[in-house]
Amino acid sequence: MLHLLRTFRFWIGLILGLAAALLYGWVLQPVRVADTSLVSLRQDYRTDYVLMVAEAYDGEGELSLAVQRLAALGPETPAQYVDEAVAYASDQAFAVDDLERLTRLARDLQSAPPSPAASSP
Amino acid sequence: MNRGAWPLLIGLLLGVVAGLTYAWAIDPVEFVGSSPASLHSEAQADYLTLIASAYAATGDLPRARTRLALFPGPNAAEMLGALAQARLASGRPPSEAQALALLAGDLGVRPSPPPGLTPRVATGVPAAPPTITRTPSPRPSPTVTLTPGAPFQVDRRELECDATLRVPRIRLLVLDAAGQGVPRIEVVVLWDTGQDHFYTGLKPELGNGYGDFTMTEGVTYTVRLAESGALVTGVETEPCVDESGGVYPGSWWLVFVQPPPP
Repeated sequence: MLHLLRTFRFWIGLILGLAAALLYGWVLQPVRVADTSLVSLRQDYRTDYVLMVAEAYDGEGELSLAVQRLAALGPETPAQYVDEAVAYASDQAFAVDDLERLTRLARDLQSAPPSPAASSP
Repeated sequence: MNRGAWPLLIGLLLGVVAGLTYAWAIDPVEFVGSSPASLHSEAQADYLTLIASAYAATGDLPRARTRLALFPGPNAAEMLGALAQARLASGRPPSEAQALALLAGDLGVRPSPPPGLTPRVATGVPAAPPTITRTPSPRPSPTVTLTPGAPFQVDRRELECDATLRVPRIRLLVLDAAGQGVPRIEVVVLWDTGQDHFYTGLKPELGNGYGDFTMTEGVTYTVRLAESGALVTGVETEPCVDESGGVYPGSWWLVFVQPPPP
């Protein structure tokens, strides 16, 4: 009987401890999303970022600058980010002008010669 | 302590350890789906600069406003102006600062004319009665209304004895033929031992065509608009006297204007 009571108390303590930890982590001291990087941008924001790169590329005509801006999004290749943006923009029925800009950037990225860094092993 | 409480305490401790281990190590929070406002300051600066570069290419001000609205702040124009100066000072490409200045200028409210400067607007038009509700006028186009090729001329050069400006400055305004402030004009400042440059429009709250430069006492400056060649020489601090008889260095107010086309 005593053993059963101890076990019961142990489990009560465990549940209370878990509850206290989760209360602390989720309510009292919740995680503040701050100081994040471009890598963690939500998909719609990331698509808009890529669209801005495409818009700026339209005006500036500097593919290397566009590549540099896209590289800030993470470890994937710039072309992959643009392809993802094109797919998202198509799904969300972006304006034709925006789709054209994105497509143009994707095409220019694919037709550009690979950079030395990208082609090295 | 009551021996019966030990199992409870041990369970509690294990529960806390297990909960935190799960939350921090086994399945930690992954920062996905964050917004631009949560970016760290450097990434925010890059993001804002990209907004300005995209705007410089498209001229789509409503879209730029929508994008800027993602960043909380009382005055986007001031924020962009400050960012333009910071980017310029850190050696980033001038095109970035120009794009930021352009957007800051187009977002900023057109200021009242500087002291002593007659606004170049049509006269004789009666003021609208105060009872009439005015339809908001469309936002100005980001296209600068410059007369291509026409040079700027020095329109005004005045010593400013303003006690609130304790640091002497060359304060400068560049206007087009219609009297509109012109942003993104590069201004070169030369002196015996060096030179510096800045752009108009980086402080849109003071006017799209406004720019300033802090002077050092005893140094004589030459101010030149980089593209047009308009020149002001022999600019140096002059003593001013405040109400209590104290002497302080005065600033210079320079106005460059593009003459109207013939």
